[in-house]
Amino acid sequence: MESDEHRMDSSAAAAQLAALRSDRAQLAERVVPPWWYDPCLGLVVFVLVAAISLRNAGWVYFAALCAGVLGLWALVSAYKRITGLWVSGLRRGRTRRVVRVWVPGYLAVVVAGLIADQEFGVRWAMVAAGAVVGVALTFLGRWWTRIYVAELREEL
Amino acid sequence: MTAVRPRFDPVVHTPPRLQVCGLLAAVDSMDFAAVRDEVGVSDSVLSKHVRQLEDAGYVDVRKATRASRVRTTLALTPAGRSAFAAQVEEQRRIAGG
Repeated sequence: MESDEHRMDSSAAAAQLAALRSDRAQLAERVVPPWWYDPCLGLVVFVLVAAISLRNAGWVYFAALCAGVLGLWALVSAYKRITGLWVSGLRRGRTRRVVRVWVPGYLAVVVAGLIADQEFGVRWAMVAAGAVVGVALTFLGRWWTRIYVAELREEL
Repeated sequence: MTAVRPRFDPVVHTPPRLQVCGLLAAVDSMDFAAVRDEVGVSDSVLSKHVRQLEDAGYVDVRKATRASRVRTTLALTPAGRSAFAAQVEEQRRIAGG
């Protein structure tokens, strides 16, 4: 082990760390999705949530759900193809703070919509809930990316 | 946050492999072509280093065929993440910071 350590002096170790930081900074350019990615993700979530209001409409409900799932699959595929990588939104790190806003917020809005729909007969409640979470996800997605990019540039 | 113990890893410490691990540690998976472009080596050189990382159990290599094209995806395994983190700590220790 001693000989291993002697293979790398302090300047070589520092140079390699600097190179790793430089690689991360370069990677930060690659991970940014195209401008349309977050709005499309918001639209897909809107479709999936709003579709609940069509649950008694038979094949229309099924078609809306299929459109949402296909849209999600197409977005993930497009991101992978464009950037050449995949990173989970639930990854560890500073981006978790966005997840801590998104998950309870999403649940609160969807549950409120379901209560308004089921208990009070507000037929458009899930469409409104879908619009709220869709718009929220568009902005939260941008926030997530900003945090991730900053993390790649600042940390190793 | 748990502290990482510095550990010299002869598989990870070589510059091209260290670079590959550094990129993969920041993502879930990355295309072979994207890693090659970021590291700036040829396909054959990257293949050789990826095979060494794969043999050590540090990198998971997946191949998928779509539209008659083979797409190779690389991902760091949990053992690879630990080895990379320990190697970075070791280099910080050697560098004196």
